[in-house]
Amino acid sequence: MKKVSLMFFKKDCMGCHSCEIACKQEHKLGVGPRLVKVIEKAPDFIPVYCHHCARAPCLESCPVGAISRNERGIVLIDNQLCIGCKECVEACPFGAMQFDENTEVAIKCDLCYERLQNNETPACVRVCPTGCILWGDMKILFERIEEMTLNES
Amino acid sequence: MGEPKRVRTACRSCHGGCGVIAHVKDGKVIKVEGDPDSPISHGTLCSKCLAITQLAYHPDRVLYPMKKSDNGWERITWDEALDTVAEKFNDVIKKYGPESIVIGQGTGRDYESHLYRFANLLGTPNVLTAGHMCYVSRVGATLITCGNLPVSDWSGGPRCIVMWACNPQWTNPDEHKGVDFWRAYKKGAKLIVIDPRKGFLAKKANLWLQLRPGTDAALAMGFLNVIIEEELYDKEFVDKYINGWDAFVERVREYPPEKVEEITWVQQDMIRKAARMYAVTKPACINWGVPTEQTLNCTDCTRILTGLMAATGNLDAPGGNAFFVPPPVRTVSQFSRHRDLSKEQWKKRLGGDQYKLASRVALITPKVAWDAILTGKPYPLKAGLLCGTNPVSTRANAREAYEALKKLDFLAVIDFFLTPTAELADIFLPAGTWLEQNHVADNWKRHGYVLARQKAVEIGECWQDHKIFQELGKKMGQEWWDTVEDALDYLLEPAGLTWEEFKEKGYLKGDQVYYKYKEKGFSTPTGKVELYSTILEKWGHDPLPKYTEIPESPVSRPDLIGDYPYILNAGLRTPTFFHSANRMIPWLREIRPDPIVEIHPETAKKHGIEEGDWVFIESPRGRVKERAKLNNGIDPLVIVAEHGWWFPEIKDPGHGWDISNINILTDNSHESMDPVMGATSLRVLLCNISPCEDKEEKMQ
Repeated sequence: MKKVSLMFFKKDCMGCHSCEIACKQEHKLGVGPRLVKVIEKAPDFIPVYCHHCARAPCLESCPVGAISRNERGIVLIDNQLCIGCKECVEACPFGAMQFDENTEVAIKCDLCYERLQNNETPACVRVCPTGCILWGDMKILFERIEEMTLNES
Repeated sequence: MGEPKRVRTACRSCHGGCGVIAHVKDGKVIKVEGDPDSPISHGTLCSKCLAITQLAYHPDRVLYPMKKSDNGWERITWDEALDTVAEKFNDVIKKYGPESIVIGQGTGRDYESHLYRFANLLGTPNVLTAGHMCYVSRVGATLITCGNLPVSDWSGGPRCIVMWACNPQWTNPDEHKGVDFWRAYKKGAKLIVIDPRKGFLAKKANLWLQLRPGTDAALAMGFLNVIIEEELYDKEFVDKYINGWDAFVERVREYPPEKVEEITWVQQDMIRKAARMYAVTKPACINWGVPTEQTLNCTDCTRILTGLMAATGNLDAPGGNAFFVPPPVRTVSQFSRHRDLSKEQWKKRLGGDQYKLASRVALITPKVAWDAILTGKPYPLKAGLLCGTNPVSTRANAREAYEALKKLDFLAVIDFFLTPTAELADIFLPAGTWLEQNHVADNWKRHGYVLARQKAVEIGECWQDHKIFQELGKKMGQEWWDTVEDALDYLLEPAGLTWEEFKEKGYLKGDQVYYKYKEKGFSTPTGKVELYSTILEKWGHDPLPKYTEIPESPVSRPDLIGDYPYILNAGLRTPTFFHSANRMIPWLREIRPDPIVEIHPETAKKHGIEEGDWVFIESPRGRVKERAKLNNGIDPLVIVAEHGWWFPEIKDPGHGWDISNINILTDNSHESMDPVMGATSLRVLLCNISPCEDKEEKMQ
């Protein structure tokens, strides 16, 4: 099965935060964990999100093996196994790993795994008004980002 | 249990219109998704819409009618609530006449047809809306100039886009949404951005013109000056279709680029480049935002921008600024029965003699309402009904608005929550959200569509606004329908559809035809684009548009700049909130917990202000506090501040309405307003800043 990932074309992020709320709705999250987050540094917007890294520091840092990679390359966390030590939160170079103060376990982007199984796009991708959130085959993603960068200039 | 039911509907978390599929399970909306088949939003949604379940099922939402008693708010039945309002209104009518009742709404939210019908059948000409300085003012000024509102034709493929004081991807575009603009832009259109603040689009633009706030009309005159001097205008159009071109040219000659640079702070070379780019790239559209309307230049600025569209032949052209043909349904105006308001009552409209354009579009500027309440002149307003509006937050000189509403003998409010305005009421009527209504949505807009907004659920005892006006109207002996849906059948009748049939279709689109003026001329007295306005002339105003210096600026009030050295660009919009709404929504408030004032880093340093500090913003009329965010994309002399802030988490009835309320600082004196429309200066004034003693704490 092809490995998939998520990627923002940062130059087209205009800071509307729709992806954040779509994600909260999809994952039934309250205030606190933000699996995708856009930081505003006008006029730039910096999306913070899980890259489902090929070598994932979060996965490597977890002392109890609660973080794993599935057959599609999606890095997932098992909240039954998580002991809430926050090693993964420290390890993530992007600041994407979140900690849910209510449940006292780490929580992360699952690339809307359930939606993918129903042939739906991830919730954030679906709502983005500028189409700056891309998902799919890793290789194709890089090509598309390159193409978008060329078009931009 | 089982699979959720999917209800196709249309959002109204702002002016609305985006296509939504609501997932309903066990009588509750559990999720909303974008409708990929929506001609308006194409499957995308914004944060406000996506957070609707947190609004609809919010624990503070009021789900039944209430009256205020000595023990505070008390639950009552709809019958008691409507009987009370009807009785109070009938008392006022008997003693003072129907004109002593003011009916009000906030921004356009698809119930103006019903609100105006109620007001007209009641016999009051005093309808208080945001229209004096938002959208309706643009409609009014274009009606007298070219007969209709020219709207950016994104799908027609503009090759050049002028984004004039507008950020449609962030907030509340009136007709088409930001996503259609984005598609047009991505096809390779050139982009010119007019904005005092370097935002996302300024960064994308071929040309970004950073003007002094409030000088848009002068800049537009500068564009026209270049276009005329360099003969870049459409000579055939000008000869055939413009009234008073020569006189207009004479006026435009008063604005050479070097003078416009002085007024606007935009370098003359940039003015020339932008004017040329707009004039020679065909087709080109101007997409304007409300800051062009929220100064005393409101009407003139709209007329000058219309002049640009006309002179370049982009008016009603594909990919330019088009007049969209509506689908064949009854209009808001027909439904409202404006013609049934008697001449005698029409003449009594407050401020009608002074603000003639406002009167023409059937509204009053708030100042005349507050004056009538507080001074009893020219006659007193005694009672009011306000729907979906929070004027103590969103209108100029908020303190006066607050005092006036407090003084009304009787006030009823229709809303979702006990806002600071609703807390001043005697009767609270709980409105349904867009998830709880059936309506022919977007009927008031000028983009050529109507949309089926269909009810997904009912919550508590809330009624959709339309039903409230209808049932109250019936209590007062007015002619209405048995059900909300019967009224929708009436609206849809000319299209040969019933509400049930329309619901299945989802939307209707008018058959678009361009260049309609070639057959029929323009709907103005001369049949031409009246850059020289025969109507304004008849009303005793300057028939030609001009730039008038902002009444409180470093230029007009050098005496004030010692104490107030900065230009306050008030009213910054943000994507998660809609004016004063949504501050209680946890998801949205998490993104923007505090009101933000943007300050240039150099300016902040001068005052010892750091990122995140609470800062006092002070004008000659008062002082409020917001939280500093440093932004080097604004001029060091300009301070940019958000509007609409109150704090639902503060539980006393004021809900902190005056802590961060930028309209405590704004002016609503008659001298500060547009002379024909009564538009208030919500955007530009003088201010000073200083760090709060306790930089951490706002609630003191």
